[in-house]
Amino acid sequence: MTIAVCLKWINASGQTDIDDDRFMGFSYADQAALEYALRIAENTNDEVIVVTAGPVGAEAVLRDAIARGAQRAVRIDIDRSHDSAVIAQAIAQVVAHCSLIWCGDYSSDRGSGSVPAFIAAELSFAQALGLVEIQVPADSLHPIRALRRLDGGRREQLEIRGQAVISVEGSTARLRRASLKGSMAANKQAIDIVTVNQVATETPPTRAYRPRARAVAAPVGNSALDRVRQITDTSSSKGHGETVHLEPREAAELIVSKLREWGYQS
Amino acid sequence: MTDTDIIVVGAGPAGSCAAIAAAKAGKRVVLIERGPFPGSKNMYGGVIYPRILDELIPDWFEHAPIQRWIVRRSTMLLSDTGALNIDYRSNAWGQAPYNGATAYRPDFDNWLAQQAVAAGAELICSTTVTGLLRDAQGRINGITTDRPDGDLTASVVIACDGVNSFIAKDAGLYKAVDASNYTLGVKETLSLPKNVIDERFGVRDNQGVDIEILGGTSGVNGGGFIYTNLDTIALGVVLKLPKLSAQKKRPEEIIAELKRHPAIAPLIEGAEVIEYSAHLIPEAGLDMMPKMVADGLLVAGDAAALCLAAGIWLEGVNFAMASGMYAGQSAVQAITAGNTTASGLQSYTKKLNETFVLKDHKKLRKIPHLVLSDRVQHKYPGFVTGIMERMFRVENPHPKPGVRRILREERKKAGISLMDLVRDALTGLKGFG
Repeated sequence: MTIAVCLKWINASGQTDIDDDRFMGFSYADQAALEYALRIAENTNDEVIVVTAGPVGAEAVLRDAIARGAQRAVRIDIDRSHDSAVIAQAIAQVVAHCSLIWCGDYSSDRGSGSVPAFIAAELSFAQALGLVEIQVPADSLHPIRALRRLDGGRREQLEIRGQAVISVEGSTARLRRASLKGSMAANKQAIDIVTVNQVATETPPTRAYRPRARAVAAPVGNSALDRVRQITDTSSSKGHGETVHLEPREAAELIVSKLREWGYQS
Repeated sequence: MTDTDIIVVGAGPAGSCAAIAAAKAGKRVVLIERGPFPGSKNMYGGVIYPRILDELIPDWFEHAPIQRWIVRRSTMLLSDTGALNIDYRSNAWGQAPYNGATAYRPDFDNWLAQQAVAAGAELICSTTVTGLLRDAQGRINGITTDRPDGDLTASVVIACDGVNSFIAKDAGLYKAVDASNYTLGVKETLSLPKNVIDERFGVRDNQGVDIEILGGTSGVNGGGFIYTNLDTIALGVVLKLPKLSAQKKRPEEIIAELKRHPAIAPLIEGAEVIEYSAHLIPEAGLDMMPKMVADGLLVAGDAAALCLAAGIWLEGVNFAMASGMYAGQSAVQAITAGNTTASGLQSYTKKLNETFVLKDHKKLRKIPHLVLSDRVQHKYPGFVTGIMERMFRVENPHPKPGVRRILREERKKAGISLMDLVRDALTGLKGFG
């Protein structure tokens, strides 16, 4: 089988005002993902393929990954300014045949961590995102056991079998150094360049949701606590709406008046 | 069979030129760099004289990442309060054939290394060479690195690993190291808008200024410098190591004092320090140079102490580029002839002796010592500025004193004997040829 690792070519300088190929690299999270893919492949004899989306300069991270042990590299020739959904769709076309798709949980250039989820959705793969601990199985017969970060310090135990998209945090593993011979071989390695059929359309820019202002009567009550409760409505239950039986015209009028009252229409 | 023909250690000006020369001759070259990219250790604040590149890259001036072409060359003598400035300007230096230029070394070295890659050399970054490999006869035939599976064999290793060359030392080419042969160069990069630099230094477009300073180093033997980049100024001092450690002064304090000097402060007013760095400089010229050839090994650039610190001439990158180029060419010759022992590589020493690389050093052999001597450092700046102070001060109703009287009195005030003055003048005259 084949294990894919998605690497994002980013400004690794830590400074936002530097735009220079010399300071480009890939995030610690992506590095950890590559490390896990290599560790698993060592035990399962799988092939590791590294994928990036971007211009020719992005091939540097692919060569770096090959020097460290990946077997094959694919660069998707696509403008990096596209939406996560478009990038993910492009990547999905390249990695659809893979058993595991490893990603960093999010890139350090203000990444939102959405690409792994989009890839999983695109391919209908299982997803195990934001992992903080991974046990590398001894062979391909055993599942990968992992811990996922939940809110409030809780952890979710996962058992990953079959095709899945996995994203890991950067602190989970340290990427191995490339051997000298590996680096020299990587300089000569051919990199597949893929132009994908772009299907997804860009999401149109949307306005942030802001409910309209509406007048709220001052709360009436004997104590401050009562008045606060009226406003915040913490103790009373609103129930699950009310059922009315009206003629269509009256029903429509009621809906419109309620929408006005709740601030959705002016 | 070796992994490659030639290994060049260090992708600075010497290493990249060695790699270009060897790769152009069709040899397999691996260029190994410690930093994440060539020039990543931006320590340099100086003037590069790149004419030696004519041979390797004929159209270099159209592509090299130059900041400013030096059209004003000043030598400044500083006393505590005064300054004598000898300033020469030639706008012709700002046009082809160019003279000296300022550049950011992360740009310049990276560009030069890319020329080596374009010529066919293989560049490996983020790799530190940790030692030399030797065959059964003790001949050097490769390197060890800090990488896994990091040994690499070659017919010739060219060490361009800079001042404090571990490779040249490992190969036993250096005599015992003497700290007094080294200076510490300390530099601040100061940010100022381009138009402010243009106005303060009287230049336009990509014209630049180079100011070498004698005195102003807080009693530590050495010198100061100011170089203009497009929108930064490199200001720093070069300090003789034993004197610096004896003074118990931090180098940044000495820079701060230089910046406060009344002749310097207006030039840099309002500037923001955006970088501070320090680096060793091999200052003693011919007297500290190692053997540059061993069986399977050549040494070039700062690693071979090829740095000219002769007061009015402060050069290093051109010596590095030239020695690197000649090393690359000699390595190719030796490999082609099938003899890479020290005798097979002797054409390198011959070439260095025939060209400016060693001729300049031989001619100026005594100058570095003269420039860093206590008299030149601590007495002459005060002596000369004292003369100027008296000559140009109009003290009416007193009549002007005679120049000879001023000279005599100021010499006595500075505590310089006539004998010493004559002796230094003769050394200078002889040394500068």
